[in-house]
Amino acid sequence: MTDALGAARALLTDRIGDLGDEWDRAGAVPVALLRELGAAGVLCAQLSAEDGGLGLSSVENGELTAHLGTLCGSTRSVATSHGMAAWTITRIGSRKQRAAFLPRFTSGELAAVAFSERGAGSDLSAMDTRIRRDGDDVVVSGEKVWITVAAYADLIVVFGNYDNGSGDGAAAVVVPTDTPGVEIERVPDPMGCRAAGHATVRFTDVRLPADHLLGAAGASLSLLVSSALAYGRLSIAWGCVGILRGCRQEAAAHARSRTQFGKPLAEHQLVAEHLAELYVAEQVATRVSEHAARCWDDGSPDQVTAVVLAKHVAATQAAAGAARAVQVLGSAGARDGHPVARAYRDAKLMEIIEGSSEICRVLLAGAA
Amino acid sequence: MNISTGLLEFLASRTKRTWEPDEDLFASGVVSSLFALELVVHLEKAYGVEVEGEYLSLENFRTVNAMEKMVLELQAATP
Repeated sequence: MTDALGAARALLTDRIGDLGDEWDRAGAVPVALLRELGAAGVLCAQLSAEDGGLGLSSVENGELTAHLGTLCGSTRSVATSHGMAAWTITRIGSRKQRAAFLPRFTSGELAAVAFSERGAGSDLSAMDTRIRRDGDDVVVSGEKVWITVAAYADLIVVFGNYDNGSGDGAAAVVVPTDTPGVEIERVPDPMGCRAAGHATVRFTDVRLPADHLLGAAGASLSLLVSSALAYGRLSIAWGCVGILRGCRQEAAAHARSRTQFGKPLAEHQLVAEHLAELYVAEQVATRVSEHAARCWDDGSPDQVTAVVLAKHVAATQAAAGAARAVQVLGSAGARDGHPVARAYRDAKLMEIIEGSSEICRVLLAGAA
Repeated sequence: MNISTGLLEFLASRTKRTWEPDEDLFASGVVSSLFALELVVHLEKAYGVEVEGEYLSLENFRTVNAMEKMVLELQAATP
């Protein structure tokens, strides 16, 4: 483990500890803490040192994300969105825009990415949000839903249809949330990652200098979205590794310490099967995520499919694994405030966000 | 090996068929938008360029000739 990864892990352990359940019940992570973690670079640890980040490799960032996923799914979700916003600017912005925006990602400011709309979830081609040039300005109009971190965010990278009067295309704009015309409304009582700051965001003729329009304006929507989501999907996969790691530890500890019918639960074969399958799930999710991260670090084109595979496999394993953990703990884990109950709710969301399991299967079928 | 020849070999290895330099990759139905992202990553790794910003248009990936033109432009612009 490198010094940078070790220090980042230690910081997360120290600041979060066992507070994840308290924040989950409260529906919020202390914003001051999120800003501290952001300023320390751990919420987008793969950002290059040149751009003000820690410069971790994808494999290292994955391990950090898994650790965060074990501690607190909501804070991991914040890191996924914040990191994806940084990656989006890195990928589709110009050098000048990178220099302008990326240092803000490690200054204590928080960022989100806005894709989904009421009528456009898996099918983002149905987006209604409009992004248009008006002289030296760019104007954003539309409504985005279920935007992770939006309740905390200082910046939102907003995707929409690019209306330049000369044809089809898409664009993304970096929108500071204090710009006139931006309205943020929290999603009440989300099922999982309850403290991740999910919100509906309305943009009413939000006017910004044109240099907030990322350089790829007018490009292919599918190419822009695929580029941005690549980071988010791999981050979700690693978050699922963290969920499984925590569930395996909780289930094993409980099964070895609780006695029924005169022997530990772990020695009852049907319970032992749950432990074995949790171990398998964690290992499978870890290996498939490591493979994708290595492809990313190597610059291999295999990363594109490997990331989708990792997200799909890890999310499916996490949802099934968390259910097993709840089953092993029985009534001890079947309540709000217990890590496996939180993991069970968080894991289900992982099968939905950043490309549902069904969309991932469609993409994987194309690679078959 | 020149860029065009290298790209034709890469495409053949990924799609299990041969291509012409001016053949429309997307019209064939063989190449998806997800594959376009694979092409982005491949071009960056193989030719030492950054395909950023305005270059992320499907038109730049539609044919081998278009990709070669873009790579040459990016290489010329690299400091």
